[in-house]
Amino acid sequence: MILFFYTLTMKLNYIFKKGGMKVRILFSLLGIFIFSLVSLGAANKISTALVNESTVVPITHELREKYPIKPHHAKLSLDCIHCHDGQGKDPEKFEAIGDEGCLACHGSKQKVALRTGFMDSFHTNPHNSFHDGLAYHCDDCHQVHQPSKNSCLECHEKELPNWMKKVTP
Amino acid sequence: MKKKIFILILFVGVIIGLIISYISYETITRTGTAKFCVICHEMAPMRASFDQDVHGGTGKTGIRANCVDCHLPHNNLMNYIFTKAKNGSIEVGAHFFGDVDTFDWQNHREGRAKFVFDDGCKKCHTNYTTNEKFSAKARQMHQHYNALIGTDKELGCASCHAEVGHHGLNNMLNIYKPEHPLYEKGSEKEKLKINEKLYGKGSIN
Repeated sequence: MILFFYTLTMKLNYIFKKGGMKVRILFSLLGIFIFSLVSLGAANKISTALVNESTVVPITHELREKYPIKPHHAKLSLDCIHCHDGQGKDPEKFEAIGDEGCLACHGSKQKVALRTGFMDSFHTNPHNSFHDGLAYHCDDCHQVHQPSKNSCLECHEKELPNWMKKVTP
Repeated sequence: MKKKIFILILFVGVIIGLIISYISYETITRTGTAKFCVICHEMAPMRASFDQDVHGGTGKTGIRANCVDCHLPHNNLMNYIFTKAKNGSIEVGAHFFGDVDTFDWQNHREGRAKFVFDDGCKKCHTNYTTNEKFSAKARQMHQHYNALIGTDKELGCASCHAEVGHHGLNNMLNIYKPEHPLYEKGSEKEKLKINEKLYGKGSIN
């Protein structure tokens, strides 16, 4: 290897001496070009090296019909496994993930309450309820595989349109 | 003689090149601060919520990002300058000839993955897939994001991080433009208070 580089440099030296300035400039430009190509390649490799596909439960058309997901989840191309991980591979046996499951992505009940915090001064914040504070469960209103229900409507049907949308996401 | 002229041209060329680079650099950086952007960009609620965010300098270290760090593409310089010029001209038009009251900001947020540029986020958040301080769920979802890069389902950072960079954006927008009648009560007063903080006393902006 060392010998190879040695002979290469000797040969290059010979060419430089014979060709003069122009050859030297050409060679350095070529060197810079090759260097930038190599670094570009390396940079691309680093960014693609991060890609790692996780195990996915295949979602059939029937499965999607039976367990439709909300548009804001569908937009993120979520798979069953993203919520039901560690629950095996049979979708029929998946269980509800509860508050803890939802909050794994949505943060905490405090955070969710803060998102709608402008309602607090009127005591209409559903995530920081006038009646029960943070004690409600997510699925008291929000459903993932079926239409959600706005529980406030049960008592406040008349005034609610002044407060919020009737349809819960 | 010829050699001398060549060296002189080279020298003058380098100086001119440096001056032009310096002027362009200064123009690009000085027109990239939040203070400059809000002169034309109609976005008081966005600015106010940015001031409440860790990206707006509320963190322990006080590091503050600029609008352009997230809202302009950073993949290549030409694209950056082109988008900057394009957005700028649109906003100047909107500022002088548009009606702020007709802007539907909430609806606009639906397209947030398009106007928050991920290469900007990833410039600082380089270890978003491997950072062990993140929860397992966060790392799993970031892998999901990575897997979709280059597909037609590609996500943006802001697809999930809905209020990133603008802490309490939903609240702020509902002060400036209440979505439901109940919250119109007192919103004008609140708005004035925030505007005063943003633009100084006596401002009508």
